[in-house]
Order: sequence, then C-alpha cells, then structure tokens
Amino acid sequence: MSVSTPKLLPSSGKKSIHDVCHPLSCEEAALTTPSPELQNTSSIGDKDLSLPNGTPVDTSSPASSSSLLNRLQLDDDLDGETRDLFVTVDDPKKHVSTMETYITYRVTTKTTRTEFDLPEYSVRRRYQDFDWLRNKLEDTQPTHIIPPLPAKFVVKGVVDRFSEEFVETRRKALDKFLKRIADHPVLSFNDNFNVFLSAKDLNSYKKQGMALLSKMGESVKYVTGGYKLRSRPLEFAAMGDYLDMFTQKLGTIDRIAQRIIKEQAEYLVELREYGPVYSSWASAEEELQEPLEGVSSCVANCSTALEELTEDMSEEFLPVFREYVLYIESMKNVLKKRDQVQAEYEAKLEAVAFRKEERNSAPTDVEKCQDRVECFNADLKADWDRWQNNKRQDFRLLLTGMADKNIQYYEKCLAAWESIIPLLQDKPDGKGEMPS
Amino acid sequence: MRGSEILERMADSTSEDVAVVGNTDFAAADLHNNTNNTVTGYSCFSKTMMEEGVPLLKKMEISVSETEKRTGKNAVNMQEVYTVYLIETRPVDAITEGQSTAPDSLWRRYSEFELLRNYLLVTFPYIVVPPLPEKRAEFVWHKLSADNMDPDFVERRRIGLENFLLRVASHSVLSKDKIFYLFLTQDDGWKDVVYDTGFQAKADSRLKALNATFRVKNPDKRYTELKHYSDELQSVISQLLRVRAKVADRLYGVYKVHGNYGRVFSEWSAIEREMGDGLQSAGHHMDAYAASVDDILEEEEHYADQLKEYLYYSESLRAVCRKHELIQYELEMAAQDLVSKKQQREELTTGTVRTFSLKGMTSKLFGQETPEQREAKLKVLEEQIVEGEELVKTSNAECDEYVRNAWVDIDRFKEQKNQDLKEALISYAVMQISMCKKGIQVWTNAKECFSKM
Repeated sequence: MSVSTPKLLPSSGKKSIHDVCHPLSCEEAALTTPSPELQNTSSIGDKDLSLPNGTPVDTSSPASSSSLLNRLQLDDDLDGETRDLFVTVDDPKKHVSTMETYITYRVTTKTTRTEFDLPEYSVRRRYQDFDWLRNKLEDTQPTHIIPPLPAKFVVKGVVDRFSEEFVETRRKALDKFLKRIADHPVLSFNDNFNVFLSAKDLNSYKKQGMALLSKMGESVKYVTGGYKLRSRPLEFAAMGDYLDMFTQKLGTIDRIAQRIIKEQAEYLVELREYGPVYSSWASAEEELQEPLEGVSSCVANCSTALEELTEDMSEEFLPVFREYVLYIESMKNVLKKRDQVQAEYEAKLEAVAFRKEERNSAPTDVEKCQDRVECFNADLKADWDRWQNNKRQDFRLLLTGMADKNIQYYEKCLAAWESIIPLLQDKPDGKGEMPS
Repeated sequence: MRGSEILERMADSTSEDVAVVGNTDFAAADLHNNTNNTVTGYSCFSKTMMEEGVPLLKKMEISVSETEKRTGKNAVNMQEVYTVYLIETRPVDAITEGQSTAPDSLWRRYSEFELLRNYLLVTFPYIVVPPLPEKRAEFVWHKLSADNMDPDFVERRRIGLENFLLRVASHSVLSKDKIFYLFLTQDDGWKDVVYDTGFQAKADSRLKALNATFRVKNPDKRYTELKHYSDELQSVISQLLRVRAKVADRLYGVYKVHGNYGRVFSEWSAIEREMGDGLQSAGHHMDAYAASVDDILEEEEHYADQLKEYLYYSESLRAVCRKHELIQYELEMAAQDLVSKKQQREELTTGTVRTFSLKGMTSKLFGQETPEQREAKLKVLEEQIVEGEELVKTSNAECDEYVRNAWVDIDRFKEQKNQDLKEALISYAVMQISMCKKGIQVWTNAKECFSKM
C-alpha cells in the first residue's frame, strides 16, 4: 500500500512561534517530554503555524507544506541571517587522570533561541559525550538522518590517538557533526542536544536520563521488526539505489585518492634524493657551482611543497569522503526502519481485514501505524532533500578545495623555478678564466 | 743532462712552462696527419675545406637527417637487422650564392662512427674527443624502451650522432683530419682507408696504460686533479641520471592515477542531477592532466641526453689523463734506465760495486773478468748511454709537447662544458616552469567546473 497524502494530524493548540516545531514533523513531543509518543503531534493546516523567523505560512494544502520546506532548505545564502544557533568545536586538551588519559574539546554555543536559558555557552566534552548524543538522537528521532561521527575505535599502535593530526582531524569531524545538527530544523530542537550544549555536568544528566527511561518502561524504538515489506515505494527504492551507487563511487574515489597520496609519497622520496645530487656535483665544480646549488635548493623547495600537498590531501580530504560513507550507512538504516514501519502497517491492515467484528477498536491501532508511516515518509523525504543539498555543497567545497591545494602546489614550484632562471643566466663578471 | 735533473724539471712543470703557441693545433695536426699525402682523390674543393685555422663546420653544412633499417650478413655470416644514418653535407657557399645545390649524402651505420672515433682517439690522444651517443639505452625509466630498434631510441641516436659530427667539425684540430673529411664524403672504401692508416697498431694497450697509472713517480699535479675531477664527474652524473629516471617514473605514476578520477567522475555524474555537469567536465580535465605527462617526460629526455653527453665526455677526459700518465711513465723509465746504465759504467771503470748486481755476485763467485771483456762491455754501455740520452731527450720533448697541447684543449673543453651545462640547466628550468604552468591551468579549469557543481 502506497503512502497517501498526509492526513490531518491532531492539533498542537496555541503555541508561541518558537515552540512550534517543523510543520512536517511529528516529533513535537520530543521537545516537552523525554519520551516521544505519537499522540502529540503538530498539525498541518492549523492557524498558528509559521516559520521560526515569524513568516506566516500557508499550510492549507500538503503541497504548500513541502514548498515551505523547500524554501527553508534552499535559502542557504540567507542562513546567516535566519540562523539562530551557532555551534563550534575547538581547543582540544589532554586530560590525564589515574584511571585514563583522554581529550576534551570546547563546545561553544551562541543562540537567540528561547529553549536555551542563556545566549552563550561554553562547555567541555569528550568523544563519549558526542557518542552519547548521537545515540540519543537516533533513539529519539528515528525518522531522521543523524549525521555521522568520526570513527570511535582506533587501532592502538597503528594510530596515535594523541597525535596532533589525529586530534585535529577528529575535532573537525566533531565540529561538522554539531553544525549539521544545529542546522537541522528538527534535530536542533532536540532536548538532548540542548543539554549537550548547555549542561555543566553532563554525566549526572546522563544517569538521570537512564533512570527516567527505565521508569517509563516503554521501548523508545520505533522499529518493531519481524514484518516483511511487500514492495518499497518507488521514490524510496530510488533513494536506496542511489545510496548504493553513491557508496560505490565514494569507495572508488577514496581508493583513487589513497593511491594518489601513495604515489606522491613515493615521488617525494625520489625528489629528496634527487636534489642533493646537484649539491654534490656543485662541490666538484667552480663556475657551475652556483647554478647547480640553485637547482638543488629549487628541487628542495618543490619537495617541501609536495609534502604539504600530500598532507593536506590525507588530512582534509580523505576524512570527508569516509565521513560520507558513514552518513550513507545511517541513511540506509533509516530507510530500513521506514520499511519496517510500513511493513508493520501493512500487516496490521491485513489482519484487520480478516477480523470484521473488531472493526471498532482495531482501526485506532491501524490508524496509528498509518500515521507513523506517513510521518516517517514525510520526515525522510524532507531530510533527504536537505541531505542532497548539503551533500552538493559539501562536495563542491571539498573538490574546489582540492583543486585549490593543487594550484597552490604548482604556484610554489613555479615561483621556485622562475627565481633561479636569472641565477642560471648570470655571467660571472670579472672571474675570467677558471683556475686550472 | 742527467736523468735526475730531467725528473726534477718534470716535477716542477707548471702552466707557466706551457708556451701556448698560436698555431699549436696546426702544427700538431701536421705532426699526426702524415697520412694526408698518401690519400688519393684530394680535390681542390676539399683543399678549401681544409683551410688553415678555420674549423670545417664554418665551410660546410653537416647533418644526420634520416634513418633506415637494413638487413645484411654480419661477420659470422648471420642475418642481422641494423640501422643506417644518412649523412648530408653541403658547402656553405652553395647556399649563400643563391643557388641551393642538393646536398651530398651517404649512409653510415653506428659501428662506422665508432671506428671513426677510435681513430680520432688514437691519432689525437691529447684532445678531449667528443663522445658518441650511447650504444645501448641506459638509465631508462619504465616507459622508455630499452630496445635499440625502438623508433624513439633511433631518433634520439640520430640527434646524438649529428651532434657528434658537429662537435668534431667545429673543433679546430679534429675538423682538419682527412679521415674525418672522408667519413663525411667518401661513400665506398672508407673503412679500408682508415685501416690503412695503421692507427690500430698505435693504440696503447690497456695493460700498458694500467701499469703506468700505478707506477708513475712524479705525476703532474694538474693532471692528477683533472683525473680526479673526471672520476667525480662520471660518478655524479651517473647518479643524477639514475635518480632522475626514478623521479620520472614516479611522476608518471602520479599523473596517470589522476586519470582514474576522470572515469569515476563521469560515472558519478550519471547518478547526479545538479552536480552532474560540473563533475563530468571536471573529469575531462583530469583526463587531460593525466595525458599531459607523456609530453613532459619526452621533453625531459633531451635534458637527460645532454647530461649523458658529458657523462661520456668524462671518459674522454680520463683518456687524455691516462695518455699523459703513459708518456710520463715512459719518460721516467727512460730516465731511470739511463741512470742505471751510467751507474754500471761507473762501476766498471772504477771497479767498485756500489749497488748489488748479479754481475757483481757472479764475478765474486766465479772470478773477475778479463780486461778485454770489461773493455767490450764498457763500449756497449757507452753506446747504450748515448741512445738513452737521446731517448730521454725525445721523451721529454714529447711529454712537454703533450702537456702543452692537451692543456689547451682541456681549457677549451672546460669552457664548452660550463656553457653547455649552464644552457642545459636553463632549459631544464624552463621545462619545469612550463610543467607548472600547465598544472595550474588544468587545476584552475577543474576548479571552475567544481564550483559550478
């Protein structure tokens, strides 16, 4: 059974602008209670809906809801003006205790949102805190794509988790992670995110949350499992296909980039041997000494430039490719969850068809499922479009950056070689005949 | 003159002793070109070509313009394939007078060039003889074929052979050689003419030369330094060529892998909507980037060839030093021999045995010789001493002359080397600059495509 147009969802009642969640989201409950339940969802087609920045919204038809979403997503250039939440990750510091050694990062927040008590926050977080946040988001926002974190585990002995390069690469990825959440119209309003950004003592909150959960006793997870989907709707099937092909391409590009880095490294090794030979030749010569030394230092400069290029490639570009592979993985998981929800709905629908007498009570259960499916589909579609757009931006930045680094490399080499031309052409004045 | 004095004089010789004679080269040429007069067909035309003081190249255009494959039977009567090179010559006058006559031409193979060069080496041992291009491809990086029949190799060899002829033809001494002239002009029977000069008999044996190297007592310091320099030059250029080949190999790898980007960007663009065009065109630029390395490295081979010429030149340098050692050694031997003969004479006349000799021992054991015997011996000795003195005189003169002539050419060579290598370095830098500019161009184009994604 295909997804029909989104039904009118229960009203959220009068709310202030900032309390109104995303028109297509059914997770408004997440803002007020720790455990989301499907009943409290905001409505489309109700009077108080407007954009976070106050623009009134025409939501009389589903079509306009998505166009609303489009306006939200594609106004990337205006983001700076309409954005009200800025997050940065920086200043890594090493902490040594008797039990363990670990790194913390400073997380700085600037915001005008009323969900936050203060306009500015500065807290220290370590990787496991980020990991906790991500898990929380996955649990509480299962219909949304959660951005990926850099790899959790590193092979000890192979990678030094306290080396400058590793920490810096990780910091950048964590920064990107939080920025993506902050830019997400739904995820950024998540309670856990708020706490992560603002709480002085995150650990006590974590414990609290766990206790609350066990009291609730109800599984937060959407995915019920065990139901088989008959057929994926076309647009989601297309998403799945795209993700598979995209993963493949990313994998290939990653391999090529690694190969290039390897080849460049080997080229560098030879260059480092090449330059000094000119120097040793220079020591055997008289008139040719200066020109030869000039060539030697030129090659040395080019070698350094190459080293910088290779470093940039492996520290700035490779991680981003790998990150997207992780992103795609979480995308695929969300797609699977969606399939599960739809399968459950279809199964329950079938079951109801066989039991005519229970038509009165059963429908609410089926209706619940249908709502779930429709919400999930809407969320996913919205996130998908948003993801595609961000992906385009990310890769545009990444690839132009890569081109830039290569241009800079060649410019450095060009400068080096151009500078020795006058040296090579110089006639030694007053030297006359070389001494025999 | 006493032998020891001669030795002292030799040890003291510095460049101040070398009288740079104005037409030294002419005189030297005359000294060794006594074969000139025996060669027939010495036309009037060639007389102008061999005008004094002017290198051949000023009067004659020379080029190695074409190559061809031939098959024939070799020395052991087996079929072989070899390459021949077309040598074209034309008097410079012919063109300036408005009329352009067709050039004279003949075909020669590499082995004939080798024969010519060996002849020049023997005939002009005090000249730093230009080298031939390599016999087999050395210092190859993987893409370059090591096959002698490979067209690229043949082409580079053609250029090298032309370069060799031009170097010889512009040399004030070498260009006047008759055999060289005939090499350029006489189609048939040139080989016989060369062999007839009997130059092979004049060649110093390897053993003799090696012997001299280790036994020279008073080597000329300048030549020792020169030999040391030629060793260094050979070593450093070999190393340079070797590492350069590895660098070329690696550079090739880096460029070619970027070609893979071209393919994957193309595939990726197929599954994208807005990003597709930018990716696709960027991919084309990556393909162009990968392809550009072939031309870059081919150009660099010219630089490698220039270095190789001077690598082989170092061998010529060393040959000049070796010849000097040999002459020096022979002089020392002659002087030493004279000294010992004089000593023997002294012993015989005074009857005292100063040094140990078998003669002395046997006479002690078997009794003294008769006065008649002694008289006869003395007479022989006197004759030998006279001969010896003559030998020392000529050896000394030969040595002096050699030192003089050789140093003139060595100075000439040094200047040529410095100029040529400077130019080679400049052209290498220019190549690198061009490569960088191309790289900037390609990546700028790619960046533009990416920014339109």
